[in-house]
Amino acid sequence: MSEPPVDELVLDTGPLSHLAEAGWLGVLRTVAAPRAVVITDAVEHELRQGSHSRPHLQQVLNAEWTKKHSLVSGTEIASFAHFSEFLVSGSRNVGECSVLAYAQAHKATAVIDDRAARHLAQDAGIACQGTLGLLCEAIRAGLLTTAMVGSLADHLIETKYHLPFLPGGFEAWANEHGIISPNEN
Amino acid sequence: MVLNSTELGLRVSQARQRAGLTQAELSQAIGVNRSVLAKMENGSRRLTALELAQVAEALGERIEWFVEDTPPAIVSHRNVTDPGEPSPRIDAEVERRVRAVEFVARNDTEFRDKVRRPPEFPLPGSREEADKLAREARELLGVGQSEPLHDLGTKVIRAGLLPFIVNLGRDAADAASVLLDAGAVAVVNGGLRVGRRRLSLAHELGHVLVADDYTVDWRIDGSTNRGFHEQLMDQFARSLLLPDISLEENWDVCGGNTENGLRTAAVRVASHFRVDMSTLARRLRELELISGAQAAQVRTTRTTKADIVEHDLVSSDELPKKPLPRVYEAAVLRLFTSEKISEERALDLLMGTWETAELPELPKLNESAIWQFVS
Repeated sequence: MSEPPVDELVLDTGPLSHLAEAGWLGVLRTVAAPRAVVITDAVEHELRQGSHSRPHLQQVLNAEWTKKHSLVSGTEIASFAHFSEFLVSGSRNVGECSVLAYAQAHKATAVIDDRAARHLAQDAGIACQGTLGLLCEAIRAGLLTTAMVGSLADHLIETKYHLPFLPGGFEAWANEHGIISPNEN
Repeated sequence: MVLNSTELGLRVSQARQRAGLTQAELSQAIGVNRSVLAKMENGSRRLTALELAQVAEALGERIEWFVEDTPPAIVSHRNVTDPGEPSPRIDAEVERRVRAVEFVARNDTEFRDKVRRPPEFPLPGSREEADKLAREARELLGVGQSEPLHDLGTKVIRAGLLPFIVNLGRDAADAASVLLDAGAVAVVNGGLRVGRRRLSLAHELGHVLVADDYTVDWRIDGSTNRGFHEQLMDQFARSLLLPDISLEENWDVCGGNTENGLRTAAVRVASHFRVDMSTLARRLRELELISGAQAAQVRTTRTTKADIVEHDLVSSDELPKKPLPRVYEAAVLRLFTSEKISEERALDLLMGTWETAELPELPKLNESAIWQFVS
């Protein structure tokens, strides 16, 4: 029994955390629509663990419009184990693997920032996007300004992104490359 | 590949027993009721990915180990040990390295090409044959028949053997080795002195050359109840490190046969060949270069600080500085810089011997990768 493909975004802890911190969860809901926003049990667990020290994560846990999912089928577990072999150490990156496994099993789009995970997604033929990609979509949809996203891009550079512009350089770079022009595909 | 819940539950139960944990202890560690864990283990309740990750972490195993096929050598070794008994620590350390090496070999072509086992050698059936195997091994390792065998940890890689040094403490096994599809893995107890470590690694090389698939050695070169096969491997190891002709020559040159020269000769020869005194004593005795009484004297000789200065000895500590084989480290770094594995997994494969800051910089994104980020 193969499931029909569903149109969903499944997000890793990092992107959810960045968006919540910037107060843009509502933007996420709008940008994702009509796609459902899926949160796996492992990502939910990571959010819960982090919510003690970072209260903004509680907003994600409280967002009732998201779809919560536990990976449990043989296919999901096999896929999860496969990605674990490349990414996990102890409890690190378990959420990320659950996102890739969900995306593979349900043909959803994974939203992940880590480069090794994105490579794995590519090799496995999984549709994949980063936080910045989502935000550029939001700019094109007229929901966010380039300046707003620029400040978040600076924050991303400090973490998992190695982008070809310095902090403060997103806007100039995005204009130069026509990334946020509404006519771009 | 394990996909049904009964098989997965069974693996959880076996791993729990190997780790020496009760159901109560494991269920507490993962925050479920004991009855829930019992159902997971008998397959009547499926584990979620998150629960599997928590079980793996609590038992010190990797997630994929519960699902993937277990390497055949490990399966057969488990079958001869007592089911339900906690594993000796060396088994867990060996398994971790075997699986790591297999993972790296599957994902890095250069490593796969470098680490190959030679064709199997016939099992020696006598002392002479063990000596012959030692000569063949020297040829294989690219070492002359009379020179001291220095830097053994690097040279054994030519025989497809990857040596890992793990500090297991004093009352643990000396060493172990496992054959893989490509190459072999040896774990040597870093708690041993350098001479014993070299002897242990030489002994494991013997096992690998005659294709023994999984061996754990508790007392290499011990005299108590060693089987014939092990005695021959001990013989091979001594012969490999102390080739007869050059040992005899060195012993003579260093004054081993002169009155009062025994102690100095023992110190100088042991240093030249980098062996421990009891190995040297045994080898000299079996080549009939010394008497039983002299062997006892050699065995109790200790190299002092004064000896090192007076005889200008090299006090090199070649094996402990390298807990991992260089060729393996290089392959892990390649997997990391090509972004096939995460930083966390890279550090895990490097067995905690590297710091995050020591890892190489990741390359800058190229233009096409940037588009992937923002499209």
